[in-house]
Amino acid sequence: MDDLIRKAEEFDPSEAKASSRLKSRILTKLVELEQAEGPLRNLSESRDAGEQLCVFEQALAMLPSGELQSKNPCAVCHARILGEKVENAPVFWPGCAYARYCGH
Amino acid sequence: MTSPALKTHQSDLELAAAILARDRKATARLVEIHSDTVHRYVWRRLAPNVEMVEDLVQEVFIAAWRSLKNYSGEASLQTWLLGIARNKVEDHYRGILSRPLADLETAADEMPASEIDLEAGFDAGRQSERAAEILMKLPYEYAAALRWRYWENRSAREMAAASGRTEKAVERLLARARQKFKRLWLEMGLEPEGRA
Repeated sequence: MDDLIRKAEEFDPSEAKASSRLKSRILTKLVELEQAEGPLRNLSESRDAGEQLCVFEQALAMLPSGELQSKNPCAVCHARILGEKVENAPVFWPGCAYARYCGH
Repeated sequence: MTSPALKTHQSDLELAAAILARDRKATARLVEIHSDTVHRYVWRRLAPNVEMVEDLVQEVFIAAWRSLKNYSGEASLQTWLLGIARNKVEDHYRGILSRPLADLETAADEMPASEIDLEAGFDAGRQSERAAEILMKLPYEYAAALRWRYWENRSAREMAAASGRTEKAVERLLARARQKFKRLWLEMGLEPEGRA
C-alpha cells in the first residue's frame, strides 16, 4: 500500500496547471513589490533587452528615459483587471503579459 | 564547450539579473515560464484545497523574488523555485499536524487485518489516478500526513520533531490514515468503472 500512496504523486490532472487569474495576480504582486523597492527599469531598456512591449508601453518607451518610462501603465489598464478577475479573459493586446497568461 | 545544462542556467541567471534590475517584463516571463510547474507541485500536495494552493504558490513566488539575489545559477531556476515550494509545503504540513486532531483520533477506521491485493485489477496509470483520488477524499490531516511521509520521504520521527507531536502519535496517525486509504481503495474497487 505504501507504493500505491507513492504512485499518487505521478497523477497529473489538467487542473494542476496554474490558472491565468493566478498568474496575473502573482505578476501584479511582484511588480508592486518591485515598485516599492525603487523605480522600475525603463521600458526602452526592457525593449532593448529583447522584451516585447504592449502598445501603451511602446508609447512610454518613446519618451526620454527617466521617471515617465518607469511608470507602470498596467496599474490602470483593463487588461490587468480582466486578467486577475476572469479566467482566460478576452484580452488580445500583443506584448501584454496578462494577455499571454490568458492564452492570447 | 558549455554543456546544455550550464547554458540553461546562464539564461536563468540573466533572467534573475533582469528581475533584480526591476524589469517588469522579465518578472512577467518568470511567472509565465515557471508558474505551471510550481502550481502542479503544490496542487498535488495540497489538493483539494484549491484556495490554499493558490495562496501558497503566490507565497513561493514572493519568497523567490525576495531571495533572488541569493540565486547562484548552480541549479536551474525551476529547481530553485521547487526547493522554495518544498519548504513552503513542509511548513504547511507542519502547521496541519501541529493542530489538535482530537476528532480524528477518536474516529479510527478499524479494518480487519487481511491480505488483500490492493493493486490487482488496475494498470499502473489507473492506480496512480485512483490513489490520487483517494488522497483527495481523505480527511485533510490524513492526506497531509501520508504525503509528507511518502512523497517528501520524511520519517515519523522527523515529522514528530517538526510538528511538536510525539513519534508514537505520528505513527498512530499514519496507521489510521493508511487504514482509511485502504478502506476507500476497497470501496472504490467495488464500484463500476463506468468507462468506455
